[in-house]
Amino acid sequence: MFNRELLKGSTSLIVLQLLAERDMYGYELVKELEKRSDQHLQVKEGTLYPALHKLEKQEYIECYWQEQAKGPARKYYRIIEEGIQMLKEKTSEWEQFVQVINKVMRGTEHDPS
Amino acid sequence: MIHLEAKEHYLQQLKKELKKHPQRESIVQDYDAHLYELLAEKEDEKKTAEEWHLLFSEVIGHPKEVASMWKEELSVTPNKTFYLFLLMNAAFFVAGSLLTFAHLLNEYTWIQTVWRSLTSIPFIIMMLYMGFWGFLGYEIGKSFGARGRSLLKKTFLISVLPNLGLMLLVLFRIIPHEWFQPLLSTTFIMLCIAATILLYPICWIAFRWGKKQSL
Repeated sequence: MFNRELLKGSTSLIVLQLLAERDMYGYELVKELEKRSDQHLQVKEGTLYPALHKLEKQEYIECYWQEQAKGPARKYYRIIEEGIQMLKEKTSEWEQFVQVINKVMRGTEHDPS
Repeated sequence: MIHLEAKEHYLQQLKKELKKHPQRESIVQDYDAHLYELLAEKEDEKKTAEEWHLLFSEVIGHPKEVASMWKEELSVTPNKTFYLFLLMNAAFFVAGSLLTFAHLLNEYTWIQTVWRSLTSIPFIIMMLYMGFWGFLGYEIGKSFGARGRSLLKKTFLISVLPNLGLMLLVLFRIIPHEWFQPLLSTTFIMLCIAATILLYPICWIAFRWGKKQSL
């Protein structure tokens, strides 16, 4: 598990990325994130819903209910146009950030001393 | 069915902690659905009621902790933001008017000093005021994301009314020009017009920047 501070601020970006691939419900989002990160990234599930609610209020995602053959109806989340746009902008910003950090961290490798 | 009882107990506690939250029912419903999925995965595990409760608190958070995150979300609302900026803008006008009247009544020396100091730096004041409009756009973008667009338009249109009103009152000499001496030079009036035209683009650019920080 990474330091929570490293993940802080990235939760919304990760959620938008996952939803850009397919509509998901809350529990599925948590499990998908764990699976993809080999259990390294674990969002405290209580914080996910306020984050989803905020994204919905900001009009980046929307939700809808879907009845299930077994069990109660599930609340699915789907990304909308503004969310896709925001995801593009933030992904590019994130990639630049990662590049810069990597460059800084690898700096000593090229140090002749 | 200990796990179901533990789930009910957890949700009841959460409901109690959320007290008067306007979306209490829908929030509890979200966690109910989440716990349903969690239990479907773990129902074969043998645990006591306390252990189930502990598991829920570990995975989701203690009900108090969860409720506080939702309450935090309520602290900034479009209405509060709208009135806050409206009041801030009105406060500039009220402060300016009071200072102008006090200066005209010529009562205190310190007011004359303040008036002289402020009228000697009109461009700095203008820049600071434009900064306020930038701040307005940025905060709306940061707090409300894409949804803030309509709030920005509404806040801007209503907040700009006193500015336009004052300009018209001075232009048509309903307010005597002498009140604002030595401010009313042609250059300053031209700059005021240009600044007023620029207010919305400034607000908009700041909004776009703020929106980027909303995630």
